[in-house]
Amino acid sequence: MAVGSGELSLADVPLQEEVELVRLDLPDHQLEPLLERGMLPGCRLCPVRLSPFGDPIVMLDGTLLALRREMAGCLCVRRAGPQVD
Amino acid sequence: MIKTWSGRGSAAVATESDPTSSAPLVALVGPPNSGKSTLFNQLTGLHQKVANYPGVTVEKRFGTVSIPGHGQLDLVDLPGVNGLSPRTLDEKVTRDVLQGRLPGLRPPDGLIMIVDSTRLETQLMMVEPVLELGLPTLLVLNMADELEKRGGSLRADVIGAELGAEVARTNAKAGLGLDAVHEFLASVAAQGPRPPRSGSVERGTSARAEKAVALPVVDAFAARRQRIRAAASKAEFVPPGPSTLSRRLDGVVLHRVWGPLIFLAVVALVFQAIFTWAVPFMDGVDFLITTSGEWLGATLPNSWYRSLLVDGIWSGVGSVVIFLPQILILFLFLGLLEDSGYMARAAVIADRMMERVGLQGRAFLPLLSGYACAVPAILAARTVENERDRLATIFVTPFMTCSARLPVYALLIAAFIPEQPVLGPLMGTRAATLLGLYALGALAAVFTAFLLKRTLLRSHRTTFVMELPSYRVPTLRSIGIRLLDRSRVFLRRVGRIIMTVAIVLWVLTQVPMVDGEAPPIQDSALGTAGQLIEPVIEPLGFDWRVGIGLISSLAAREVIVGTLGTIYGVEDADEGSMELQSALQRDLDLGAAVGLLIFFAFALQCMSTVAVMRRETASWRWPILQFGYMLFLAYLGAFAANALI
Repeated sequence: MAVGSGELSLADVPLQEEVELVRLDLPDHQLEPLLERGMLPGCRLCPVRLSPFGDPIVMLDGTLLALRREMAGCLCVRRAGPQVD
Repeated sequence: MIKTWSGRGSAAVATESDPTSSAPLVALVGPPNSGKSTLFNQLTGLHQKVANYPGVTVEKRFGTVSIPGHGQLDLVDLPGVNGLSPRTLDEKVTRDVLQGRLPGLRPPDGLIMIVDSTRLETQLMMVEPVLELGLPTLLVLNMADELEKRGGSLRADVIGAELGAEVARTNAKAGLGLDAVHEFLASVAAQGPRPPRSGSVERGTSARAEKAVALPVVDAFAARRQRIRAAASKAEFVPPGPSTLSRRLDGVVLHRVWGPLIFLAVVALVFQAIFTWAVPFMDGVDFLITTSGEWLGATLPNSWYRSLLVDGIWSGVGSVVIFLPQILILFLFLGLLEDSGYMARAAVIADRMMERVGLQGRAFLPLLSGYACAVPAILAARTVENERDRLATIFVTPFMTCSARLPVYALLIAAFIPEQPVLGPLMGTRAATLLGLYALGALAAVFTAFLLKRTLLRSHRTTFVMELPSYRVPTLRSIGIRLLDRSRVFLRRVGRIIMTVAIVLWVLTQVPMVDGEAPPIQDSALGTAGQLIEPVIEPLGFDWRVGIGLISSLAAREVIVGTLGTIYGVEDADEGSMELQSALQRDLDLGAAVGLLIFFAFALQCMSTVAVMRRETASWRWPILQFGYMLFLAYLGAFAANALI
C-alpha cells in the first residue's frame, strides 16, 4: 500500500517522537488485538524504547505495548507535531 | 490438608460457592492486570474455590461474600480479557458467562467491571460491550491513588454518569474504597436473583452482532473509542505521567545487553529453585509417604485390600504427590515474576527466540514450567492468543525435561555411564549426559514446533502484542492464595488420574491369582503384557522386564524405578540402589541403556499429561496424535542408539 505524503511506518519513527496513527495495514485476525487495546486511527503513539532485539515498545494512553517490528512496519502514522494540550 | 483451606471456620463454609445455589451471582470482569483477582481476593478472602467450566478448562473462580441482612452472594472471577470477541478460550468463556449461556452456571445478576485508572482510555474499551448486557453494573476505577500520585486526575462521578454505570474508586491492593463495592453487592443481594431473562440477553447480543456486521471492524472500534474519549474528556481525565520507577527499571530490564543477561539469570534462578531448593521438601514428602505407607502396612491385616492400599494406591499416588513441593516453588517464583510485572518483559525478550520456531513470547512461561511438570505448564498456555499457537505450544511442552524423568535418568546414568572428566574438573561424563538429555528434549520441542507450524497448525504469521504493566511489589496475600489454588488444582487433577492408573496396574499385578495369592510378577497380567510386547521392543535391546517397566511407567515416568526393583526382587529400590544398578547392568548393554534414556526423553509416559491434553483440546485427537508421535520418536531414537552403540 502506498504511503501518502507525510506518512511513514511506525517502525521508522525515531524514539520519543509522538505520532498519530493513520491506518493499520493488517489482516483482520492481527488487527483485533490492537483495536481492543485502543490502537485506532487517530490515536497518538510514541515509541519509547526498543526491546533488546529491536522490537518497538510504544506508549499509548499511558499503556506500554510491545509490538513486533514487522507489525510496526504495517502501521501507517503521521507526524503529530507538538501536542497542544 | 485441603480441609483446612476451605474456610476460616465460619458457618458459610458448608454451602459456600455452590454454583447451583440460588444466591444472587455477581461476575467480576476486567482486562488483565487491572487488579481483578486482587479485588476478588479482598472481597471473598479464603471463601473461594476453583473449578473448571464444563467442557473447557478455563478456571472458574468462585467465592462467597456475606451480605449483612441479605445472606450470601456468589462472586465469580472471570479470566482477564481485553474484549468479548471469542479469540481466546478465556474470552469465549467470559462472553458466555456474561450472557448466561454457559451450561451449569446461572446468568449473573450483576457485574463488577474493574479497570486500571492509570490506563483509563484503553481499559474502558471493554466497558461498552459489558454495559450493553443490561445488567446492574458497578465500574470500579482501581489504582485511583496511583493515578493521582503520577499527576493524573479524573472526576469519577462524571465518568459514571457519562457511561451510565455506578462507580467506585479503589485501591484493591491496599483494600481501600471497598465500601462502595460492598454497597453495590448489598443492592444486588437486596434485589435477589433476577428472574430468568430468556429474551433480553439474546436480543442485546444480536443487536450488537448486527452492529458489528454492519460496520467494518475498524470503524466499529473507532466509534466506540470516540464515545470513550468524549466521556473521559467530560470527566476531565488527565492521564498520569509515566511512572519513573517503571521507566528506570525498563531501562535496565529491556537494555540491549543487560536485558538478555537478566533474563538468563532469572531462568537460571527458577531452575536452581526447582532443582535444588525443592529437594529437601521433596525428601520430606517422600519420607512422610514412605513412613505412613509402612505404618499402614504394619497396621492393616495381611489382605488384598492392604496390598491395594499400600502397594497400589499409596505408592502410586505418592510417586506424584512428591512433586508438589517442586510445583509450589515453581509457582512461587512464577507468581513473583508475574505480579511484579517482569513476566511481560520476559515474554518480550523470549518472543524473538520463540518466533524462530513459529511460536510466540507468551509460550515462554508454559515451556519454562514444563521443566517442573507438564500438567501445570499445559494449563499455563491458555494465555497464548492464537488457538493454533496454543495447540503447538502444548503439543511440544511434554518434551521439556520434567522432573519425573530425573529419577529414571539418575538410575540409568549411575548404572551405565562411568564418571570421567569431560571439561577438566568442571563437568564429568555423567553431568554431560544429563545435560545432553535436557538438550535433546529441547531440540525435539523446537523441531516439532517447527514441523507443526508448517503442517497441521500452519497459520498466518503469528502475532504478538503484549502490554507491559507498571512494576509493582507482589503481595504475600495474592501469592499465598495463588499457591493454595495451584496445589489444589494439581492434587485434584493429577490425583484422580493417578489413582485410577495405580489401581489398574495393581490389579494387573494381582491376576491371575495362584492359590489365592498374587502371582510372581512375571506370571501376572502385567508380566504377560511385558512379554507380549517383548518382540516389539527387542530391536531396542529391551527385554520383557523393561517392557513391564515401560507399561507401568505410563502412570508416571519414575514408577519404572520401583517396578524394576520389584521385578529384580530388590527391596526398597530407588535410583541410587546399587543392587538394582548391577541387575540392570546384567540385562542391558550400553546401547540399550542409552536407548532407554532417549526413550524416556521423548515418550509421553504420563497419563496425567494425556488427560490434561484431552481436557485442554476438548477432543481425543490431539492427545492421541501427541502420544503416537512422541512414542514414534522415542522408538526411533532408542532403535538408533541400540543399533549404533
